[in-house]
Order: sequence, then C-alpha cells, then structure tokens
Amino acid sequence: MVYVEFSTISKHFGTSVAVADLDLQIEQGEFFSLLGPSGCGKSTTLRMLAGFVKPTTGQIRVNGRNVTALPPEARDIGIVFQNYAIFPHMTVFDNIAFGLVERKLPRVEIKQKVDSALAEVGMTGFEDRYERELSGGQKQRVALARVLVIEPEILLLDEPLSALDKKMREEMKYWIKNIQKSVGITTIYVTHDQSEALTMSDRIAVMDQGRVLQIGTPVEIYEQPASRFIAEFIGESNLLDGTALDVHGAVCSIDIDGTTVTGRLTQNNAAIKGQAVTLLVRPEMIRLHSLDASEKPKLNGTVREIIYQGSVVRYRIQIGHQHVMVEVANRPDLARLDLDDDVEVYWNADSGVAMP
Amino acid sequence: MTKATAVRASGLSQHQFKWLLVVPLVAFFVLFFVIPVGLLFATSFNPAKVGQVALVSDLTFDNYIRFFSRSNYLIAAGRSILLASIVSVITLIVAYPMAFVIAKTENPARNTFLLILVLASMQLDMVIRLYGMMVILGDNGLINQILQSMGLTDGPVALMYNFRGVVFGLVQFALPFMILTLVGVIMGIPPSLEEAARSLGASRRRAFMRVTLPASMPGILSGSLLVFALSISSYIVPALMGGFRVGVLPIHIYQQVAESARFQFGATIAVILFLISATAVAVYLKLGKRSSGGLA
Ligand SMILES: Nc1ncnc2c1ncn2[C@@H]1O[C@H](COP(=O)(O)OP(=O)(O)OP(=O)(O)O)[C@@H](O)[C@H]1O
Ligand SMILES: [Mg+2]
Repeated sequence: MVYVEFSTISKHFGTSVAVADLDLQIEQGEFFSLLGPSGCGKSTTLRMLAGFVKPTTGQIRVNGRNVTALPPEARDIGIVFQNYAIFPHMTVFDNIAFGLVERKLPRVEIKQKVDSALAEVGMTGFEDRYERELSGGQKQRVALARVLVIEPEILLLDEPLSALDKKMREEMKYWIKNIQKSVGITTIYVTHDQSEALTMSDRIAVMDQGRVLQIGTPVEIYEQPASRFIAEFIGESNLLDGTALDVHGAVCSIDIDGTTVTGRLTQNNAAIKGQAVTLLVRPEMIRLHSLDASEKPKLNGTVREIIYQGSVVRYRIQIGHQHVMVEVANRPDLARLDLDDDVEVYWNADSGVAMP
Repeated sequence: MTKATAVRASGLSQHQFKWLLVVPLVAFFVLFFVIPVGLLFATSFNPAKVGQVALVSDLTFDNYIRFFSRSNYLIAAGRSILLASIVSVITLIVAYPMAFVIAKTENPARNTFLLILVLASMQLDMVIRLYGMMVILGDNGLINQILQSMGLTDGPVALMYNFRGVVFGLVQFALPFMILTLVGVIMGIPPSLEEAARSLGASRRRAFMRVTLPASMPGILSGSLLVFALSISSYIVPALMGGFRVGVLPIHIYQQVAESARFQFGATIAVILFLISATAVAVYLKLGKRSSGGLA
C-alpha cells in the first residue's frame, strides 16, 4: 500500500531549483533512502514532507491525506536531525517527554512512556543528564527516543550518522535498522553515503540536481545502475569502452579491443547496435583464475599494480589501452599474482552492465 | 629565519612564548585597573579630609560607618539598584523582539542594514544623544505637545528631571548593547531546535516559549547583567536626564569628589557601588548555571 506519495513536487529558491518534478511512492513500513551528492535536494525533499518547507508545486499525501498545506505540528512526523537538536536547557527526560507534554498526556503516563523509550534505546539511567554531558552516539539515541515515543506515522532521518566517527557509524547503522524493523515504522533516510543506503534500505532513490535518477532495491541499484552517474556514485566501478555488436532482448554483445564479451542492457534498446557503449563491471565480479571453462570469453591483461588490503588483494590490470581494478578475496586457494604477470580476465555473463 | 626558530634561538619554549604575548594585556590591566581600584579601595579607609588626595597611613572605618548610618546614602544605594533593575527589565523587553527579528532575517543585505541601524545609535556621543532626547521629553517637547493636542493631559507631564527621565535615558543608552548581545545568542541557536519542537507537536508560539526563549537565556542573562552594570555606574545620564535631582550613587560620588572635595568618602561610595555590581555578577552566574543546564 502506498503510504507516502509525492506528486510532481518541486521547490524553487529564487531562481535556483532545489527539487524538480519529484514523484515518489513509499510503502507502509518501508525503509526508504534518498541518496545523492551534496546539494542534490535530499534535505529539501525531506523538509517538505516534515512541513518546514512549502513546495513550489505539487502535492504530498500521507496515508491518503493531503498534507501539503499542514503546519509541521499537525503532521505526526518524527524527524532526527544531523545535529540531533537535543534541547540544551532540558534534561534527557524532559527532551523525550517534550512531545508527550505537547499532547497533554497525564504525568504518570508520560513517565511510563519515557522510561520505556529510554529502555528501548538503551539509555536507562541517563534521564537527568544534559546534552553537553552526552556523547554523539548517546545524543543520537536520545533524539531517536524523543521521536519514537510519540509514535509518529513516519520517521525522517537526515544524515543522522555523519557526525559520528567511523566505528560508531557502523554500529549505529545496524542499531537504527533493527529499531526501525522492530517498530515497523515507515522511514525515510537521507544520506550521501552509499554504503549506509545499501546496508539499511528496502529501497533507494538516487538523486542528482533535484531529480530522481533511479528507484530500486539495493541489489537493483548496485547491480543494474540505470546510468553511468549512478554506477560511479554507488560502489566502485570499472568502465570499459567498447562497441555494441548485437542485441538480443536485454543482452548485448560488445567488442572490446577485438574480444567479444556480453553485457546486460539497462533498458531494452535495440537501436544501440553498432554504437559505442560502456560496459560496467564491479571489481569484485571480475575473476583472474579460471574456475569454470564455460566462463568465456576472456580478455588478456597484465598485472600493473598490486594493493594488499588484508582481507582482499586488489590488482590493477591493463587490458589493451584500458585498465580495470579487480578485487580478489585473500584465500589460500587463489594463487597470488606478481607484477607484470599475464592474466586472463573474465566475469559471469550477467555481471557486465552495458550502458549507452 | 622563521618565527618559531627565532623563538627557539632566543631560548624560549613555545609555551613561554605564548605567555609573553599576554604580558602587554596583563600590564595594561594592572596599570589601568588593578592599581587605580586598589588605590581607591585603600583611600576609602583613610579619614575623610577636605582637599586631601594622597594616601595616608592612618586607617579607619569611619567612612563606611558614615555611609551605613545615614539614611540618604542607603536610600541612594537602593535607588541605584532599583533604577538599574528597572532599566534592565525594560531594555530586555524592548530589545528581545528587535533582536529576534534581526537574528531571523536571513537576507544578508537586510540583516546588515538592521544591524547598522542599531549601531548607528551608538555612533553619537551620549551627551549629544541626551540633548536630543530632551527635545522630545521636555515640558514643551514633542511628546507633551502631542499628549496635550490630543487632549489626553491638561498640563505637561514631567518626563524629565525625575526618575522616569533617567530610565528613558538609560534605556536608550543600553538598548544597542542588549540587542547586540541577544542577536549573537539567538543567531547561535540552531534552527533545528525549533523545527524539532514543531514536529514534536508544538505550535509556533509553544515552540518559542518552550525552546527558543529558554535557549536564549544565556544571552538574556548576560545582556541584562551588562545593562545593569552600565546603568548602575552611569553618571552622565542621571546628571543630564535627572538634572541632579535623582540621587543615585554616581551622583553622590561626583558631589563628594568634585564639590565637597572629600575624596575619601567618594572612594567609599565607589567601593560600595563596585561591590553591588560584583554581587550582581555573582547572582547572575548562579542563575545562568541553573537556567541553561550548566551551560553558562
Ligand atoms: N533556504 C534555502 N535558501 C536557498 N537555497 C536553498 C535553501 N535550502 C536549500 N537550498 C539550495 O537547494 C539545493 C538543495 O539543498 P539541500 O539542502 O536539499 O541539499 P542536500 O541534498 O540535502 O545536500 P547535503 O548533502 O549537502 O545536505 C542546494 O543547492 C541549496 O543551496
Ligand atoms: Mg542535507
């Protein structure tokens, strides 16, 4: 069931366009991410849903109700900010109780709800602390508790992990996802970090310059990126230039320096035949050691650089005048290569994505 | 040779060098604050002798006993405290909305223009500004003419040469200080605080009352303290706007020193004035700790 719906939403600031003709449909209970580079309009989109920014055109519906003109306090939406926005003059308890006080709940009930919210985020015993007495991760937990305690219809998170250090970020990623799952709340998550989006999301909308470029599951976005921009923005990619030889449905055979390889087309496009195409292959999809003779054809290459990273070894392989990065698991059954070794490079037929 | 190597060559560590930088400031502070105030303090314990300025070794509490046994001095002290408190409150009430508007004006050109307006009123010397106010507040001044032509009052209302006039003068004097202090603090409050409050269910008004206003409390306190200190120590405003008829402590100090030439008793009043200000600072610091979760 569609729960949140943006219809031809756009937002102009003066002459600059922050969001253009946005159409989004988000399901109930879904963890939906808006992913894109800085300034692409993610926050503006989120803030229009929260009611802090009035859209220039279009309509936003939540659960069938048109909320476009409603003030934030009438929307029943919880938002966690990048800086957490913990009220500095209130204790942790009063922060979490804020929304309940506004809802005029009886004292006893407030105490009960705040206590269980504190327990849920693992902050029992911190109720008398002030913001400045909390670490980044603890502020995050308080901010989330303050929002969840009012049981909003939708949870919005605007880059909630970017103020934390790397280790904390990894930890909070799974923690937030687990809480979201157990509460079952419809969640929209804004980030410019592709690994956060891939790890946590049910679906991702990739944005650039105020527009949505592709919407899909993490697997779809990673493995079938709709454009070169998306491929390069999400994960690491090898992009090989070639010429399209033949197209059969969604499969395209491509000539790369005299060797024919195949790739999947992102959209059925027979007209591509005979034209220059780019073939995308992820570094970890490429193999250098023959395990299965059926994985043909092969490209011939030479090892030009070896980067040892512990759990994986990365090789830069020269193929004709092009280069690819290859990531190989550091396992005893996979022989180590040396500089200037000649190797055969190949991948599963559907690991290559052909793009115009 | 770079600065760092020059420092090392002269046998100073980085740490010592930093202290060296503070020396001029400390010297200035000692020379122009600690020594004069110390002398003043010492002088207040000398017997009051007309025309005597230099310190003598003869120490006595007579001046303090005189101050605390004469009701007119105690009343003056009370009047000074009352005046500074009233001015602080009025200035705060007038300044807060103005500061709020300036802080929330996002357009940089408009924001700068408003700040310049505030600063412009500080450009002129206080005396000139006070003469300007006399034109408005005097018995034949603008306000009285308007009141009478509207038939609201029969005769002129005394707006000057009384307590009220001094309050007017001090508020106008203190307003820019309060506004600038508040603008800084309000601008430093992240907008996300108010937004968080709004989406937690607070109306615009409730969000202001429960979040923005308390979050600006450090500015309210330090602004009020500043205005209190400025008002209680002001001589020129009570002199001109009160016409020497509003006897606050600085007026008494002036009379003792310049008219009666009893330097020692003037010093005593000054010390007491200083102690009142210091007490105010202590009280505000304590309030500040409580109101901002220990922030201030
Ligand atoms: N209040 C505003 N006034 C003018 N322009 C704005 C305003 N808010 C956003 N913009 C502009 O709109 C565009 C999109 O901004 P937005 O904050 O939505 O980007 P974002 O994707 O969240 O970026 P980031 O990852 O840096 O947070 C930017 O070009 C920004 O400069
Ligand atoms: Mg943003």
